[in-house]
Amino acid sequence: MSESSFQQSAFELSIKQSHQFIANRWNKRPRYGIILGTGAGDIANAIVAEEIIPYPEVPHLPASTAIGHKGQFVCGTLVDQPIIAMQGRFHLYEGYPVDQATLPVHVMAAMGVTDLFISNAAGGCQPDWIVGDVMMIESHVDFMYRATPRMFARTVHGRPLTRSDLYDVARIEQAIVHARAEDFQLHRGVYASMLGPNYETRAEYRYLRKIGADAVGMSTVPEVAVAATYAMRIMAMSIITNVANPDQLVETSGHDVVDAAAIAAPKLRSLVENAIKNTED
Amino acid sequence: MIDLFDKIQESVEFIKSKWDGTPKAGIILGTGLGPLVEQIDVAVAINYQDIPNFPVSTAPSHQGRLVCGTLNGVPIVAMQGRMHMYEGYPLKEVTLPVRIMKALGAETLMVSNACGGLNPNYSCGDIMLIDDQINLMGDNPLIGINDDRLGVRFPDMSQPYCPKLIDAALAIARKEDIVAHKGVFVAVAGPNLETRAEYRFLRTIGSDVVGMSTVPEVIVAVHEGMNVVGFSVVTDMCLPDALKAADENEIIAIAKEAEPKLTKLIMGLLGEMA
Repeated sequence: MSESSFQQSAFELSIKQSHQFIANRWNKRPRYGIILGTGAGDIANAIVAEEIIPYPEVPHLPASTAIGHKGQFVCGTLVDQPIIAMQGRFHLYEGYPVDQATLPVHVMAAMGVTDLFISNAAGGCQPDWIVGDVMMIESHVDFMYRATPRMFARTVHGRPLTRSDLYDVARIEQAIVHARAEDFQLHRGVYASMLGPNYETRAEYRYLRKIGADAVGMSTVPEVAVAATYAMRIMAMSIITNVANPDQLVETSGHDVVDAAAIAAPKLRSLVENAIKNTED
Repeated sequence: MIDLFDKIQESVEFIKSKWDGTPKAGIILGTGLGPLVEQIDVAVAINYQDIPNFPVSTAPSHQGRLVCGTLNGVPIVAMQGRMHMYEGYPLKEVTLPVRIMKALGAETLMVSNACGGLNPNYSCGDIMLIDDQINLMGDNPLIGINDDRLGVRFPDMSQPYCPKLIDAALAIARKEDIVAHKGVFVAVAGPNLETRAEYRFLRTIGSDVVGMSTVPEVIVAVHEGMNVVGFSVVTDMCLPDALKAADENEIIAIAKEAEPKLTKLIMGLLGEMA
């Protein structure tokens, strides 16, 4: 057995063992998966929990160390549909190898998840945006430099996967219509993923905006890349927790980010519930 | 990062066994900028390889000595030669000396480098006070479980370089008739120099100079809560439409020529701190 095929089968085994562990505690086949980012843990309250599994109990998963992150799977129902939620995620700045950080997405796929919702907290690069706004991610720029072969899909349903397939356009349209009906501001834009953990400098914000980024954060892109290899339908949302105006920049701290995310939490919940209610079979 | 704390203590204990001073500032001397050390009233100079946990510098014209003493009446520690990412060191090791300087008592970091000039208004031999930075190294020294004893999880970077020190340095430059600019430093991993297309890219995204160091050390200094002042010495001009091949010896020669100016600025700043 070659080294790479050994690593491959060891990785498959980790997915299987993690999946088996969760299935022993909660034996449902959820169509929906959701990854709840910094400060957006509120949406977990809307889930009727049937089982809660802290990450350290699950084989092969590390404990999450980020501020505002609980670090557990919440298994249950949201608007009467079975769903598995990640309350807290693994960030690359915590030092995890990217394949370990994205293992939960592989596990979700093994459980049967085909529709994935992802939220994150991000800095807004558009000076006219407001703290607490939500942005539907329509595309991303990857500045993490950590891609592995497990993050590249070869084909989806027999046709080659291109990056334009990543974020489901119908979901974005649906969300924008819903936000209008609910009377809240919803943006649509490009998410730039950075390694972190330090926030960006003024010069970096200018640079990111110049190359077309609307929001900048430290997560999501690895998870999206893995979900795409399973042809999941992806809807990803950024909560704008600070607006970077490089010519008048104020300091950002992890705690401010958590506070600002609380404003956006109800909108996020509304968008996700609407998407689930309006999913065609 | 949890293991760093003990390593720092170990290194500090060793240095303190050789020198009992408390430095006000730590100084990092870049390519060709070592001669500043001649101005230091040296108490002790320690080779990097003798200091526990200290990485060893392999870059050309980097001597690899930690010089402890006083400069213009102010106790300082100076790194004569630094470690770079392109030498293969993890950024945590590259930046460990900064944490050691802070643990020795240094509240200010003075960092220098030799860089390529992207701003066409600059000239070879000019000095740029670093106002801001862009990290294009594809890595970060703070990755890992954060040790709250060293700094916060998510350091703010809205003002990594101290504006007061920048202004003070520019005032000294005016008084001494030295050409000094204020601009943006972009760090790349290296070790190859950039292509013409890369220079255009770096200029387009807002950089004034480009180099292969400094950014990791400054991120760690901000994490440690230090005041930072950064000097870039323009040692070759990177004008993509009139590009000359870079010559390492020429770069070092220009750095040596410009070095007295850097010495004046650093001595001047220290004089104000005394």
